[in-house]
Amino acid sequence: MNMEPKTKSPGSIKRFTNPLKGIQIGNQTTLLLAVFIVLFIFFAVTEDKFLTGRSITSMAFQLPELGVLSLAMMVTILTGGINLSVNATSNMAAVLAGLFLVKFIPPEATPQQIGLFIVLGVLIALVAGWLSGVINGFLIAYVGVPPILATLATFTFYTGISTGLTGGATVTGFPEQLSVIGNKAFLGIPIPFLIFVLLTIFTYFLLNRTSFGFKARMLGSNPIASNFSGIDNKAILMRIYIISGILSAITGILTMSRTMSAAYEYGTTTYVLLTILVSVLAGILPGFGNVIDIFIAMLILQILSTGFHMALLGIRGSSFFKDFSWGVLLIIIFIINYFTRVRKAHE
Amino acid sequence: MLNKIIKSNEFVIFLILVGLSLIVGIINPAFFSLSTVFDILRSSIVFFIMAFGLLPIVIAGGIDISFVAIAAVTSYSTHMLLLNRGYQGGILLYYVIACGMGLLAGLLNGVLVTRFKLPVFDVSLATFTMWYGFTLFFVGATANFDLPPGTVGYYGKFLFTLQDPLVGETGLHESILYVIAIGLFIWWFLKYTTLGRGVFAIGGNREVAVRSGFNINLIMLITFAIMGILSAIAGVTQAFLSRYFNPVIFISQPLDVLAAIILGGAAITGGRGTVIGTALGVLLIQLINRTLILTGIPVEWQRLVVGTILILFTSLPAIRDLRARRVGHTTELVQAE
Amino acid sequence: MAEEILRVEHVSKRFGGVTALDDVSLSIQKGETCCLVGENGSGKSTMIKIIAGLYTPDEGDIYIDSHHYKKLSPIESIHEGIQVIYQDFSLFPNLTVAENIAINEQLAKGKQLVNWGEINRIAREGLDKIHIDLPLDAIVSTLSTADRQLIAIIKALLANARIIIMDEPTTALTQKEVASLFKLIDDLKTRGISTLFVSHKLNEVTEIADRTVIFRNGKKVMDQDAKGLDVQTMEFYMTGRHIDTSAITFGEVQEKAQPLLKVENLHLSHGFFDISFELKHNEVLGITGLLGSGRTELALALFGELPADSGKIFVDGKEVKIKGITDAVHHGIGYVPDDRIREGLFLEQSINNNIVVSIVDRLINKLRLLNMKGKADESGRWIKKLDVKTPSGELPVKSLSGGNQQRVVLAKWLASNPKILILNGPTVGVDVGSKAEIHALIRSLAKEGISILLISDDIPELLATCHRILLMRGGRIVEEFKREETSEHQLSTELVGASGPASP
Repeated sequence: MNMEPKTKSPGSIKRFTNPLKGIQIGNQTTLLLAVFIVLFIFFAVTEDKFLTGRSITSMAFQLPELGVLSLAMMVTILTGGINLSVNATSNMAAVLAGLFLVKFIPPEATPQQIGLFIVLGVLIALVAGWLSGVINGFLIAYVGVPPILATLATFTFYTGISTGLTGGATVTGFPEQLSVIGNKAFLGIPIPFLIFVLLTIFTYFLLNRTSFGFKARMLGSNPIASNFSGIDNKAILMRIYIISGILSAITGILTMSRTMSAAYEYGTTTYVLLTILVSVLAGILPGFGNVIDIFIAMLILQILSTGFHMALLGIRGSSFFKDFSWGVLLIIIFIINYFTRVRKAHE
Repeated sequence: MLNKIIKSNEFVIFLILVGLSLIVGIINPAFFSLSTVFDILRSSIVFFIMAFGLLPIVIAGGIDISFVAIAAVTSYSTHMLLLNRGYQGGILLYYVIACGMGLLAGLLNGVLVTRFKLPVFDVSLATFTMWYGFTLFFVGATANFDLPPGTVGYYGKFLFTLQDPLVGETGLHESILYVIAIGLFIWWFLKYTTLGRGVFAIGGNREVAVRSGFNINLIMLITFAIMGILSAIAGVTQAFLSRYFNPVIFISQPLDVLAAIILGGAAITGGRGTVIGTALGVLLIQLINRTLILTGIPVEWQRLVVGTILILFTSLPAIRDLRARRVGHTTELVQAE
Repeated sequence: MAEEILRVEHVSKRFGGVTALDDVSLSIQKGETCCLVGENGSGKSTMIKIIAGLYTPDEGDIYIDSHHYKKLSPIESIHEGIQVIYQDFSLFPNLTVAENIAINEQLAKGKQLVNWGEINRIAREGLDKIHIDLPLDAIVSTLSTADRQLIAIIKALLANARIIIMDEPTTALTQKEVASLFKLIDDLKTRGISTLFVSHKLNEVTEIADRTVIFRNGKKVMDQDAKGLDVQTMEFYMTGRHIDTSAITFGEVQEKAQPLLKVENLHLSHGFFDISFELKHNEVLGITGLLGSGRTELALALFGELPADSGKIFVDGKEVKIKGITDAVHHGIGYVPDDRIREGLFLEQSINNNIVVSIVDRLINKLRLLNMKGKADESGRWIKKLDVKTPSGELPVKSLSGGNQQRVVLAKWLASNPKILILNGPTVGVDVGSKAEIHALIRSLAKEGISILLISDDIPELLATCHRILLMRGGRIVEEFKREETSEHQLSTELVGASGPASP
């Protein structure tokens, strides 16, 4: 992925359509799968606790939040833009829903009524995400502000809303039922993970199998040509940023449910950068990119994190090694991609 | 000549700065005091330094976020290194060692970008993550307040001091001199060296720059080296000013520095940018952040105000461009008599 | 007696299986203006690149003064005084006039420090060389194309050019600017500087050239004094045949109750004024005019990209509002742009994607999902129908030649089943073979019921395809011609015509 507005070509991403699954596989996917398998085997062999149900389950709980947020980032990068406000939106949605739940649930409410309130709270969060998308989309598509600047500004704006409404304090005191989404499992699979998988599938279909997704990719490839081809650039961008906002809001719900709290500052800038890192690792470029690669990239990052955490257990600061490993991994992937590109150019 | 100054981007920012100051001052006259000026300047110092280091890269058309990580890893590592050896001396050695590390770290980015033809941003994303992780894991994860005796008094080294009725003794810290020296150097580099002009050339049209004979790789390596060294200086200075070393220093602020450069008139696509404009941009952001409290706006809503201001600032140039688009370009259009 | 500066002998160049140059020999004299003429793909651009050292000939020799080269590098070429002016003029849009002029000298001399006084002096010296005055501190992006070209020429002169090579230099210039350029070239001549000029605008060639060299299919077919060489003869040698419009069959224009498209008093500020015309069924209507006549603005207004400020548009008798491109497409209007790389194609995307991009909403099944097979079928159909030469529709469209790329853009619009197709310069940058085929396609499309608005300044093209031709000048329609009643000569003369406001 290239942040500089002069976008470069992705080299030649070869695609072949697997007639069986109809799923498109690219070179990046192959590379990522290879890396994933290598790392998985490495850690499974060296760490005896790695393959336990408990470790896998715990991984499956942590990764969905970053995963859904990465999807929120990916859709905007695909169209040649970026959304720096994903995390701020996520927090804002959680804060708004959280405040609603804390302030409006009467103390004598029955469990069914509480359930209803929770549903309402979720809806509020989704509306907040939608609103965030509308504002971003308006600034980017209709006013014409470059996406990086617009979402940099709205990032501060949405955080400001959260800060203002909470006075800086963390919102707590949610009904217990709320924790179901973030902490329970359905048929043995953690619900957050299920949600992540479902959203990945949904996003896959949206981006690869709908006319909207097709148009969004073409727009990302060449916004001028897409305009001249009759594509309504403004409407497409608006929708993309709305989807990004809603996905961010869903992340907020997941986090809120898991931590039973909502705050303006969960994650901060680094979290956003992490979602961009996932997209870069997945080889997402304007007009090109596969949700599957995001999924695999997430898995890679997660097993690196858990794997090294286990390997270095007992060593002070072991949980930080993952950042170092992610950075190094990214550089290695870049270099591999460079040589692949060079080889392809010779063919 | 005067005409040109008035029309420039920098002048507009300057006016906004003055305007905003006036507004804040009218709401709360306590703003109009030298101690406020010193205070804003003091908190701006490290941002000036980082912004000056980032500016050439932005002019060349790149966006980098790893400079904050370099500030962290160089300052913290230098400190731990010297601490372990029982260093008792002054600040100079800190700067020397940190700058050496900063040079290498900057060159790492540079080599990856030039040798492997990688996008500047992507590389910076990787090194950002890597350096913070490196610092936290290999060097240390806690803030450290053990400053060597020779450096302890540094935070109070003022150029001038005065007594303010409200705050007590305040002053203009001597590290402002670094800012001035660095600013002058970057200004000189960009305006009076061929390599510096090359930065503008690359940002203007890379292909033509290659064709004209500029050594693109050398120029990029130098800008990254500068970025690395200045980030190190910023990290060490911040640590001395605040009297502790922080392994995650500046981690949430790379975008703020970038915003300051853009507000200061640099183009996000490259090819344009000035030291003065960048300095004004930093001041503007600092002003907004720090003096909002004087206006009586409740603390918790200040962020929102900042966000609104940013939205407005980024929208204005875009709105201006919108108007310019919808016109034809026919020569000698004949109107009805 | 003119002395010879450059000579190439028996030069051949092949790319893959294609022979770009076949045993070509050429010489340039001192102080000579030599024009290379030929269709796209004729080899003239390749010849230029070999002289500039950008390509190495597979066979042949290059002689510059007494130096013999088998392989010429760009640096050697520059040392010998050969300067190429590229399409982007090798300028930095964000830097000043002075800096752009002086920069090469700075680099050539290896100077590490910048002395602005020196830069200004060099720039002033350069401006004086051609007796023009431009503000030294003006940012180049604010200058017109003509002024930028002048700066490029100054740079070439300051580098002690003996031969200045220009590739289609008049493409983006207005008539007045072309006249200025030609005057400058004449001035350079008196100083002994030769100009090597690639152009396809034959009337300009007759005006400025001392010697005309014509290429066809990689061979040099004519090399002689430009005097006495008229446009028709040049064309004959360029194409190898006479353009015989009588042999082409044109479809009949249907006069229905309502014309397919009717435009009344259309007006766009800084674009065009009081435009009224009709486009009939099965008709090909040409709109021509020089750069800056408003013809492109008119096309963009009808397509909704630059909506008109006032006036009425009727499609099939019904008044329509075209405020944006989606409106235009909705009413069955398509547009093939002149800048197909930027505006018409998605270079990195597959040919298939490029073809279906405008109709993708139609390719969905009951579940609102894309019908992948339907998509593949549709694009396959058009690749076949328009004879797009490619081993696979999944290849990125950038892998195609210019002519095939143009077919893809056409396919995109034809797939949308338009009523009206606006074509802006459809055969620019297209090889000879494709050009004739595209003309035939245009005629047959009209026959089949798609009316065509053809924007072009290529007179033979207009005569080969259009039923009627409208001439625009200064934003107004000043004249209308029927194909049968006009000639190439008349059109060329009228097109170039008198500059200045049209007579009422």
